[in-house]
Amino acid sequence: MTAVGQTGGRRWRFSVRPTPRPARALKSLQLPAFWLLGLILLAGLARLGGILRADLAKYPVATTSAIILFAVYAIPFWLFIASMDFLEREPPLLMATAFAWGGAVATTAAIPGNQAVHDLLAKLISPAFAATWGPAIAGPTIEELLKALGVVMIVLVARKQINSVLDGMVYGALVGLGFQVVEDIVYAVNAVSVSGRGDGVGPVVATFFLRGFLAGLWSHTLFTALAGAGIAWFLVRTDKPVWWRAGGLAVGLGLAWLTHFIWNSPLFADGIGSGAAGVLLGMLGKGLPALVMVLALVWVARHREAHFYVAHLAALHDPAIATPGELQIMGHGHLRADARRYGKARCGRAGERAVRGLQTAQARLAVELSRVSHLDPADALLIYCRDEVLAQRQRLVALGHPEAIVSPCRPAVPRIVVLGALGAVLLVLLIWQAIRSMHAA
Amino acid sequence: MVAHRLLRNLAGGTAVLAALLVVVFGLPALNRAVPNDRSLTGQQRYEVGAGVSVQPPPSARIDASKTRPGADRAAVLFLLGAVRYAIVVTPFDGGIEDAAGRLRTKIKATQGYQVTGDEDGVRTASGIDGLAGGYTAPGRCGRYAVFLTGGVSIEVTVSGAEFELGQVISGIDASIDSIAYGGGR
Repeated sequence: MTAVGQTGGRRWRFSVRPTPRPARALKSLQLPAFWLLGLILLAGLARLGGILRADLAKYPVATTSAIILFAVYAIPFWLFIASMDFLEREPPLLMATAFAWGGAVATTAAIPGNQAVHDLLAKLISPAFAATWGPAIAGPTIEELLKALGVVMIVLVARKQINSVLDGMVYGALVGLGFQVVEDIVYAVNAVSVSGRGDGVGPVVATFFLRGFLAGLWSHTLFTALAGAGIAWFLVRTDKPVWWRAGGLAVGLGLAWLTHFIWNSPLFADGIGSGAAGVLLGMLGKGLPALVMVLALVWVARHREAHFYVAHLAALHDPAIATPGELQIMGHGHLRADARRYGKARCGRAGERAVRGLQTAQARLAVELSRVSHLDPADALLIYCRDEVLAQRQRLVALGHPEAIVSPCRPAVPRIVVLGALGAVLLVLLIWQAIRSMHAA
Repeated sequence: MVAHRLLRNLAGGTAVLAALLVVVFGLPALNRAVPNDRSLTGQQRYEVGAGVSVQPPPSARIDASKTRPGADRAAVLFLLGAVRYAIVVTPFDGGIEDAAGRLRTKIKATQGYQVTGDEDGVRTASGIDGLAGGYTAPGRCGRYAVFLTGGVSIEVTVSGAEFELGQVISGIDASIDSIAYGGGR
């Protein structure tokens, strides 16, 4: 290493607060909040276990099917959320904790809370008002609060792991995902109970389709990602005045509440216009703006974080560590994927693996560089990370593909845009077909 | 410095725990403190929901926390002193025997509740056919009826101590007789 990696970019310099070197997971054991979190999680898991045990005793086939179906459903969501933060990955245990909070604590606490708010609305205003607006008021107010508390708890036990707005979104989304999955399981078993036709999987599949598929893209995962962004903004942007940070926090929490409120509200519940197209339009009108807003926020947060870390590698001015071409693609997930495909096209599976290895090693070195205040030539961890990058580079050189870049013959329209557009069209068609089938039934 | 940090951490954790406790125990306690029953205005027909309406018994109040009007399914709980008179409307595409069986299963699912005697055919003033029977519970007795019309089942349950039930049963019978679906009266 020939230069000190102290840059951090320009406007995104304050967007990331790297985890300091001395931060260690075991230090969390000294924190009172860690033990409180453990107790709360145990209580939540016990309550959830009680609910699921009762369901299993009554409807064993339906409950087991619901658990399996929604557990599988959670996998792609989890993978997507985990991949959002490629450069500075979050500790798996902390990610699992966030998921468990959403699934076991927030859900079980929301049941009595939602019921109480709903009943209070019925008593203080009217049963008709509670039936119409109860879900829109009780749901966001109680559930968003409980899920946001999960992100706050993550902050209390591992403050140093919240380095950027993106980290807050990752933990928020995982809390929301846990909530979404467990809530869907409970709804599926309720549907079996309401149908009054014994232990069948029909209502489970219908619920999976309705809640997982039609409503799943703009549900709790998305709402709590917004709350997580607000909390992380407050923590990370210490360069801003407190009122500005508090404003960001309020905007994040407010948007989480608002998007949830709009989705639960009776407005356009029967769609905009008539028929299946009207229902589809109503659903997209309520859910799509929130989805687009969150994806845009993820895009901005990812790029700010990527620029921050890539700037540390760039400051080394060492093409053996990262060439200008590699630095250019490092902050973009689809370009990294294109580089791996190009490696595979030129050198087969070994080429793909070598490119992936180099990208991972470069990311680790970038993160480690950001964690030191000055470059010590004898820093064992930095030397290890640098040697890992050089070893991966050697693998590529040996394969005759020395640089992990995208193909020069790459199409003008990025593959991700084409796939994304096709996926969106397919999704809309499937939802439309599903709504038409339901109308016909 | 370290002690200060730990104290702040403890305060933060305790605040989260306190917020959880408020939601889990505080809100339900507040809910219990607010009275459930609401008086009905005059003696107008009551729109239960899902297309079903009924003439409430004289002097009945409704339990707002157990009343759920809705377009597809609905419920209302009338209170006449300690006597509870509930109507639940749900979508149903089976036969009357299936609907009656489902209601019997629900009743028997409550600890100590037993269905007694045979079921008899009944018909409301608006011409909705159904089945009616009786059940007992510790210290209480009850009646049930189920009607099928327009793709919905209308489940009626009445329960109370024998003496109190005897005082109001004629009004409840008249109310059950007034159950109508759609525009019927």
